[in-house]
Amino acid sequence: MTDPAYIRNFSIIAHIDHGKSTLADRFIQICGGLADRDMAEQVLDSMDIERERGITIKAQSVTLNYHAEDGYAYQFNMIDTPGHVDFTYEVSRSMAACEGALLVVDAAQGVEAQSVANCYTALEQGLEVLPVMNKIDLPQADPDRVCQEIEEIIGIDAVGAVQVSAKTGAGVPTLLEEIIRVIPPPEDLREGPLQALIIDSWFDNYLGVVSLVRVVQGAICTKDKILTKTVGRVHQVDSVGIFTPERKVTGQLSAGEVGFVVAGIKDVKGAPVGDTIVLGGTSKKASQTTSHKREAQALPGFERIKPQIYAGMFTVKADDFNNFRDALEKLTLNDASLVYEPESSDALGSGFRCGFLGMLHMEIIQERLEREYNLNLITSAPTVVYEIVTKAGEILRVDNPSQLPDSSAIEEMREPIVRANIMLPSEHVGNVISLCIERRGVQKDMQFVGRQTSLIYDLPMNEVVLDFFDKLKSVSRGYASLDYSFDRFEAANLVRLDVLINGSGVDALAVIIHKDDARSRGMALIRKMKELIPRQLFDVAIQAAIGSQIIARQTVKALRKNVTAKCYGGDITRKKKLLEKQKAGKKRMKLLGSVEIPQEAFLAVLKVGK
Amino acid sequence: MYAAPADIPLGLYVHFPWCIKKCPYCDFNSHEIEGVIPEDAYITRLIEDLETHTKPFAPTKAMVSSERALCSIFLGGGTPSLFTPDAIARLLVAIAEWFDIDKIEVTLEANPGSFEAERFVGYRQAGVNRLSLGAQSFDDEALKALGRIHQSSDTLRAFDAARQAGFDNINIDLMHGLPGQSVQAAMQDLAQAFNLVPEHLSWYQLSIEKNTRFYRYPPVLPEEDKLFDIWQRGIEQLDQQGYTQYEVSAFARPGAQAAHNLNYWQFGDYLGIGAGAHGKISSTKSRHHTIDRTIYRTAKSRVPKDYLQGGKTRVTQIPKDDIATEFLMNALRLNEGFSRRLFENRTGLAWQSLASFLADAESRTLLKTTSIGDETRVWTTAAGRRLLDELLLLAP
Repeated sequence: MTDPAYIRNFSIIAHIDHGKSTLADRFIQICGGLADRDMAEQVLDSMDIERERGITIKAQSVTLNYHAEDGYAYQFNMIDTPGHVDFTYEVSRSMAACEGALLVVDAAQGVEAQSVANCYTALEQGLEVLPVMNKIDLPQADPDRVCQEIEEIIGIDAVGAVQVSAKTGAGVPTLLEEIIRVIPPPEDLREGPLQALIIDSWFDNYLGVVSLVRVVQGAICTKDKILTKTVGRVHQVDSVGIFTPERKVTGQLSAGEVGFVVAGIKDVKGAPVGDTIVLGGTSKKASQTTSHKREAQALPGFERIKPQIYAGMFTVKADDFNNFRDALEKLTLNDASLVYEPESSDALGSGFRCGFLGMLHMEIIQERLEREYNLNLITSAPTVVYEIVTKAGEILRVDNPSQLPDSSAIEEMREPIVRANIMLPSEHVGNVISLCIERRGVQKDMQFVGRQTSLIYDLPMNEVVLDFFDKLKSVSRGYASLDYSFDRFEAANLVRLDVLINGSGVDALAVIIHKDDARSRGMALIRKMKELIPRQLFDVAIQAAIGSQIIARQTVKALRKNVTAKCYGGDITRKKKLLEKQKAGKKRMKLLGSVEIPQEAFLAVLKVGK
Repeated sequence: MYAAPADIPLGLYVHFPWCIKKCPYCDFNSHEIEGVIPEDAYITRLIEDLETHTKPFAPTKAMVSSERALCSIFLGGGTPSLFTPDAIARLLVAIAEWFDIDKIEVTLEANPGSFEAERFVGYRQAGVNRLSLGAQSFDDEALKALGRIHQSSDTLRAFDAARQAGFDNINIDLMHGLPGQSVQAAMQDLAQAFNLVPEHLSWYQLSIEKNTRFYRYPPVLPEEDKLFDIWQRGIEQLDQQGYTQYEVSAFARPGAQAAHNLNYWQFGDYLGIGAGAHGKISSTKSRHHTIDRTIYRTAKSRVPKDYLQGGKTRVTQIPKDDIATEFLMNALRLNEGFSRRLFENRTGLAWQSLASFLADAESRTLLKTTSIGDETRVWTTAAGRRLLDELLLLAP
């Protein structure tokens, strides 16, 4: 049992590209968590998708043994957190396991909106925040200016900020010492009955449910009988241990420690994130420890996060539906922010209406479903949730354009408005303000701090969630950062734009848009779809309509000729490979009537911008 | 017992992997000459290579016995005409030790340059009876853009020389859809070819293949509508001049269809010898009254140096599930399509395995089937012919 006085639990707050993963890797290396040869770059991003995209999606923990200058060995539990705006909720979960957080800021780029928001979350949760200035090896590093930014924008004392270069390793040993000095140890609650907070759970095909937990009180050992408070079923612990970052069985986790628990739970809903694990059943230990305190209480869980956008997901092949349902069930265990319910589309058949935190989240979910569960999916155009007041005075929430009531029955349509905080170097302010105006934004505040400008805007959520972030990045040369949260519903002049393919409406392609841009958007959408739908054996007419009025039309002309010019004896193998590739591409397409529509066409609305 | 089905025709392909200069559109196994071509050594190696196929326990289990008749020989490249008539003669003499080649088609691909033309008499005497001239175009600018080392006037002289040498079966390779080519220019090219009155024309559209210079530095090709016009007008012209289309890019005067290529498209067997040469050999195995069909593909080492040192013959089986598709990829290129009997004979598969494909393709009016007596024929409609690649996507 580790004395909590020698434990430090912390997470790292950092904007994408500010070097969080490199710093984490550096810690692991110094503390000997992995031999050098095992250091696949950025070890904490364990999903293929994370490595490929260079982002962190899921919280990951690693336990490190640090031999401090005071002669004692400390246990560091580092919980890595995602940096993208879509995954803010993961951040607050990770922080629930910590007493402190490192705020890592790029010493050249300065503070970014995402870090500000996450830093506030940390401060609200009572965490000690230790500012760290990274990339001081860069010639353009300006620690004094960034120090001032941290103090003025976030409002914490940054005089003691540690200056490091995760890349060269400079300053990292000092940082490790500072962690011990600044971040408080966990409270010593080793004596009480077990309470362990489930920070994350995922499904492993061999082990069943694996949970990442923070033991708050007592201890959890192999063979213990445990139960999760909301589920109530008793399971025996198969193994407990830590991540080094590989899974290492230790047999026990005690108060203050962070690690994994495997208890042979085969039901994917058996260990929900945010739940509390306590001792259960009639084990000797349970009766001993609960004798003086009848039953351990549940810890405060996590606020359930609300999806920001909704889209239908459908399998390309109808007989994959059951696998799809199972896959979603397993994925929700690991990703509590994903919500879904059955949806039936005239065009795409049976599927699920899924709620996502943002576009990146949606992309990642689709990619994970396709890769990890070998599915072939079509996603319909994503939408935010609208509020509809009917003539009868009812208020409806609509997360699917095809379920919008007839316009004659609608009294008022309301769209969600977000309050957005955009931070950027002052020279790009003009461009960003133009972008916000284009997106129907209303400026609420503007402040200058050092070289940074902080813009507060109210924007229709619909204009923000789809491609705003990408546009923002491009008009600010990548420097602007964004954080936003839902503020209110507001009446707006909205219409549904329907898309017809060869004369029949396709429900999965309908979108709700502002009436003022309906025409230009409809035109742009149809044009984009024309590019994305491959030529077929016959003409394909694509039309955009509002109600019964056609506002745009394009035709994908029939293929005239497509025949391989040469094919002799030696060519056949290569030609066949080409054919197989094309066949595979065709399998990715959804058949609407006799027209083949590729996935990209369903998402064309995302590519038209304004 | 393994046996080669005697009723499947067998061709012989011989690859000559060298060229003076590699053309930017060519993705065949060809290598620019460094120094001198090791002519004798290469011919020796070819003969040795052929022998391995004619021995028991040949690379493919069914040995190709000399009893199996050869239907054609194709000496292709690269540039086979870089080899002297003596070398070609030596090879053909060796082949004749195994197979009766007196009455079969023996084609040699030749670059229509002046230095080759002098050799045509020698090739004819060696036993070559069909010449395939890589004219490609009669427009000198276009030839330059294609990286060819000959000029239009060379082709005219080479053709004359071939006739003088006694070749009464000559093919001209001609490309269309060249960078910047107008419909008129393409027709002009055809007209020039018609003037020479060859027996056969291979008139094919330039396509950009991987691993070529054109792939890395793509030229600007005519737009699709123009390509379509060129193609349609060209076929009309060819037809008017008495060249009947029998395959996507092959046109022949009556009786002058290329036996060797026809065998590919009818999914016949062929031995492939020489660097990078591919072969296809069927074998049947009878057991308990059932006959198992296996189709092997063979491939030789691509690099001439490796091949000369022996190299390896890579042998793969066509997966059972792919046989029908491969058959269709070939047989549907033919205007006359194929018969049920041909399908069953060449694939060893039941006709039933094509049923859903045929129904699907017919419903899209890309294919037609007719039955006369107990014989069923399948062929492409005009739409199916111009959209063959789409049609093949429906294949099983």
